[in-house]
Amino acid sequence: MASRINADSSNGLQLVSDSSGEVQIQSNGVTVATINSSGLSMNSGTLAGNGPAFAAYQSSSQSINSGAYYKTNFQSEFFDTDDCYDTTNSRFLPTVAGYYYVSATIMSTGPTGHHNAFAVNGTIVRYGGNISNLSTYGVCNTALIYLNGSTDYVEYYTLFSGNQTINVSVPAASWFCGNLVRAA
Amino acid sequence: MTLYEKIKTLYPSLELQDFIAGTGTILLQNDGKGDYIKSWNHPTETQPTQEELDNV
Repeated sequence: MASRINADSSNGLQLVSDSSGEVQIQSNGVTVATINSSGLSMNSGTLAGNGPAFAAYQSSSQSINSGAYYKTNFQSEFFDTDDCYDTTNSRFLPTVAGYYYVSATIMSTGPTGHHNAFAVNGTIVRYGGNISNLSTYGVCNTALIYLNGSTDYVEYYTLFSGNQTINVSVPAASWFCGNLVRAA
Repeated sequence: MTLYEKIKTLYPSLELQDFIAGTGTILLQNDGKGDYIKSWNHPTETQPTQEELDNV
């Protein structure tokens, strides 16, 4: 059986392998990727997604009263590939539906308990970092969350066990980042 | 006095763990416009009214 490129009015463009069951993508005569029954694999180079990604940090220190989850401000950006991060509201509202890996670290100016959470559309959906009495070290949390690509946004909330401020004396000590890992 | 401190004054038996997401049953939140009670599901203590909080 010969390899075929098949385009018809109902199934779109199809690449059909020969009896080997394998389709190769070549550049200048060199195979860079192979598709077979196991899926797509790279023979050389790296397969990387190009979904939305951002990284932001707190540049102006925020005071947090004890006992309540405060939306944490990250007013400055390291990068924002698709202009999906809102520095005014400190929220990430991506325009591609899918599963996003998000991460954040908070450093306090003095000893306090750290309790942190990710919130989607204002409601806490993942919590962690429950450290009872931490000094000036940061607490990092991560989560994998689904965002619908149109209205869903993710923010980060911080609860301190005592009234404290977030430490910004060390450049970029408190930060928030995320990226698409799988489209919906 | 913060909202947390007012609630602690009204209900001295409450502890910080009662306010921690996941383990607690009371959730106080601040979205940038002041502290408020996001949810209150404590099994024995009833949610204080605004008047009760104002009088603390």
